Amino acid sequence: MASVSESPYRLLGRRIPYVEGPLKVTGRAEYTDDLQRPGMLVGRLLRSPWPHARLRSIDVTAARAVPGVHAVLTGDRYPTPFGVLPITHDETAIAVGKARYIGDIVAAVAASDERTAERALSLVRFDVEPLPEHSDPRMGVSKVDEPIHARGLAGSNVQKEVVQHFGDVDQAFARAAHSVRVRGTFAGVTHAFTEPMATVAEATPDGRLTVYSATQVPHYLHRALSEVLGLPMHRIRVIKPEVGGGFGGKSDPLPHEIVCAALAIETGRPVKILFDREDVFYTNHGRHPTQNDVRIATDADGNLLAYDIEALIDGGAWSSFGTVTTYYNGVLSMGPYRVPNFRYRGRRVYTNRPPSGAMRAHGGTNIRYTIEVALDRLAEEIGTDPFDLRVRNALPPDSTTINQFRITSSSFLECLSAVRTASGWDEKFRKLPYGRGVGLGCGFYISGSNSPIHFTPKMPQSTVHLKVDMDGGIAVHSMQADIGQGSNTLLAAIVAEVLGVDLDRVHVQRVDSDVSPIDLGSYSSRVTFMMGNAARRAAEELKERLLAAAAELLGRPAASLKVGHERFELSEDPSVGVPFLEALHRAMETTGALTSSGSYQTDPRGGAFKGAKAGTAPAYSFAAYVAEVEVDHETGEYRVEKVWAGFDCGRPLNRLAVEGQIEGSIHMGLGQVLGESMNYRGARLFNPSLLEYKIPTPQQMPEVEILLVGRDDPAGPFGAKEAGEGPLIATLPAVGNALYDAIGVRFTELPITPDRVLRGIDRRHAEGRGWKGR
Amino acid sequence: MHLDPFELHRPTSVEEAVRLARELAGRCDYLAGGTDLLPNYKMHLNLRPHLIALGDVRELRGHSLDRVGAAEPLADLEADPEFRAAYPGVADALGEVATPLVRASGTLGGNLLVETRCFFFNQSYFWRSSLGFCLKADGDKCHVVPQKERCYATFSGDLAPAFLTLDAEVEVAGPSGRRRRPLSELYDAAGDGIRRLSLAPGELVVALHLPRAARGQRGRYKKLRVRPSFDFPELGVAVAGRWDERSVDRLSLAVGGVETYPRRFDELTSPLLGAPLTTDRVDELAEAVLRKVRPVHNTFLLPDYRRRMVAVYVRRALAEAREGGAAG
Repeated sequence: MASVSESPYRLLGRRIPYVEGPLKVTGRAEYTDDLQRPGMLVGRLLRSPWPHARLRSIDVTAARAVPGVHAVLTGDRYPTPFGVLPITHDETAIAVGKARYIGDIVAAVAASDERTAERALSLVRFDVEPLPEHSDPRMGVSKVDEPIHARGLAGSNVQKEVVQHFGDVDQAFARAAHSVRVRGTFAGVTHAFTEPMATVAEATPDGRLTVYSATQVPHYLHRALSEVLGLPMHRIRVIKPEVGGGFGGKSDPLPHEIVCAALAIETGRPVKILFDREDVFYTNHGRHPTQNDVRIATDADGNLLAYDIEALIDGGAWSSFGTVTTYYNGVLSMGPYRVPNFRYRGRRVYTNRPPSGAMRAHGGTNIRYTIEVALDRLAEEIGTDPFDLRVRNALPPDSTTINQFRITSSSFLECLSAVRTASGWDEKFRKLPYGRGVGLGCGFYISGSNSPIHFTPKMPQSTVHLKVDMDGGIAVHSMQADIGQGSNTLLAAIVAEVLGVDLDRVHVQRVDSDVSPIDLGSYSSRVTFMMGNAARRAAEELKERLLAAAAELLGRPAASLKVGHERFELSEDPSVGVPFLEALHRAMETTGALTSSGSYQTDPRGGAFKGAKAGTAPAYSFAAYVAEVEVDHETGEYRVEKVWAGFDCGRPLNRLAVEGQIEGSIHMGLGQVLGESMNYRGARLFNPSLLEYKIPTPQQMPEVEILLVGRDDPAGPFGAKEAGEGPLIATLPAVGNALYDAIGVRFTELPITPDRVLRGIDRRHAEGRGWKGR
Repeated sequence: MHLDPFELHRPTSVEEAVRLARELAGRCDYLAGGTDLLPNYKMHLNLRPHLIALGDVRELRGHSLDRVGAAEPLADLEADPEFRAAYPGVADALGEVATPLVRASGTLGGNLLVETRCFFFNQSYFWRSSLGFCLKADGDKCHVVPQKERCYATFSGDLAPAFLTLDAEVEVAGPSGRRRRPLSELYDAAGDGIRRLSLAPGELVVALHLPRAARGQRGRYKKLRVRPSFDFPELGVAVAGRWDERSVDRLSLAVGGVETYPRRFDELTSPLLGAPLTTDRVDELAEAVLRKVRPVHNTFLLPDYRRRMVAVYVRRALAEAREGGAAG
């Protein structure tokens, strides 16, 4: 395996600006809301003001009578349930029979303009029966009056329960020399991407439906539209314009997308639905409010013996990705350390709150915080350095976890050693003055889910098509979804790298289900790994044909040729060669335009027990971060001064994008620590706005030093692994543990707001516990 | 959320603006920078069908060390080094209002008169309708302190505390002419989050006047909020005065962001005149201010925490007060 510090490639491994960057920064890039269609109507949604209510009857007569109103829809028109996971279809496009949270969609209208649409919605009359409000997941675990869904476990609101036990946890604790227990409490957080959701739909007289939508997974939207609207997929065309961020929030097929299509079918006119920020907050699907209870046992030397974990997860009104979330909160504790005994019980409970779902570093963030804080405590109790404890327990490369995850490449030890040195850890830890501290946090994450949501597990997860005609431009088709993370750029760069051409020859086409071969889209940090491999194969196929044509022109065997820059040349004498275009034109003489196809499918992974596929991946990323904080012990305010980010993404293929992902991940992770929180009182969300939902400002960003220490992954494209989600996880515990080093207080509840910091210091004083002389 | 249509009026003089306001009494609002009013309109908070835009009224613009026009953008004050140097506490406050973008549109008058804020008020029409409307807009009960008489919405301007400490005066134009009165009298201490100002219907704040003695004092404004930008104050403490190690010649302290109006604490600062400002005296003052304020739970941070911070911020504001530099 080669070190990745020097790139052997012409393009890959360098800093490649986004191919669509010039369009975005000049305002020319086309997002869904930029689309205008002739005769387009405005679609608006009526949201439930009730947290939980039976809808006895709905009268839309007056709404329909408003001039300019073209259609009013209620839930009974398209009642087929859907959901992102095939096993938990519990959503409907519009509420059927019950409203389940404040913000649930209860009616929709298409009208000539916004005001007419809102006036019509104000005239919809409901006869409702208020039902008991369920907002505390602890109360939902046993039988309740009027459960939110009929499918709750045994009359309760439990949507999913996972119980796993590997090895013998009780026996391990019985022989443990040290053990700790940490209970973590996490407020819900949401993605807060820049572009609010938007959808444009048009049903045409040829019997087809076209849907443009701001989505991370065009293919899942395609399937949900087909299921709910009762149209075969081939009569539906899904187009993804540019998307302004997703972070998981646009990965479910969402009800408004289906409603927009339904309104287009009902009216025969194009319809646009554009969300405002409050709509986005009610749609949510953000990180779950969670309580977890973690016990960890070690022997006298600090070798990990067992984890015993229980998690209670507030799901909100729907399942969404929740079954996966429930597994992930357990199984994503299986790295980056060797854990010989493991027991987990996780329950996800429906509540009358906006649904939670997948958010960047899905299922791996909250549990990781609690574990890393517990390890920090253990290190202190054992009397060892937190780094040494982790080195001792690091999961080695080419190993298998007790729950049968196969770990291939890992540079976790290199991450640890790089940040230990760069941060000056040994001079700082427990040695900085009161109020200043350093902390270590680690993590790992899947580089693409091995067991995706798909028609059959045998189908490829990604396919890429290439077409090149006599102009020499290479069109790239794939349903991969660039949502701002740079996948179009990577796709173009991989094709250009393999064929030796300049980047401006390669044109990544807009995602369009009529022409784009299926890729499962942007979630589970899968795109670079899977699309990258598919793209490489498609380009290799084209390369072989171009090399053959060049060989003919030179009268030499193809095996003696190699790819040069915009030409094919003799390996032994690069001065002898054929320009790219000449080879291309020769190759086209018999077939016309050249096309090729590459695809990628993961090897089978995981054990044979129930839920064994959850968390399996073709590769994993690894991280070790150090944060340094400065605490104002009079106000409880604190500043994260610097983060050293040691990260193993294998070979970084676009350093600019990787650095952007890491910096963005740190910002997002810090948000969950510093103050981001879905503030509920009961079922009611109190801060559905970007003024009161406290995303950190640029002034709150620390200096970030990125240390990319990975080595080539054997199965990743050009050695790459993911860098989109894993970089978030380690941020949170690094800060939490740094706060402990600074002021001697353990924080187990996020966010860590200044008032909580002060209360923590008060508590320490009340316990008579000093810290660094204070 | 969208802006409902309204009729826009564009007077070119103070007198014309006031006349329009009298004609449209109860059906209009004045519009300057719009950074407070228009978001509230989008949330359908106390909409009026007429807006009287002040952008063409020349008299409301411009500033000197003695006078600031009410429609002067905050960014223009902030960009004046002489003004900043003369009034260091005001300079602090200017830099703490919202964001640079908001300060480019937002005006002095808009900040002095900024609408009081509350978690139950600053919400969309949908949100408020789902809970039941409150006293301050469309309803008849308070959700913060459940009763039907008093509104607890919080005064959320940054500049008022700083100007209060300088004995600033406001010039107000109304149907019966113009008058000047202390800035402190602009706010109705006996009122509440709704009846918060002493302005009569249609009255317009024209300018803020600063006495000669306001210049060159020490001054500091400190603002508590979750993020160092964007956020409204959860507490704002302003101090101004003249003192050295031997004696306090003048001292003034005002607090905003915790009650329905910005408040000066002369009864606590005047006993300190003529004696040195010792650590003990500062601590006593800080604790006394803390005891006087009563924040409620209607902003992001908890009221207990905000009260506790009153004492810390008073101590720090006094410790950090800088010497005003411009010609005294």
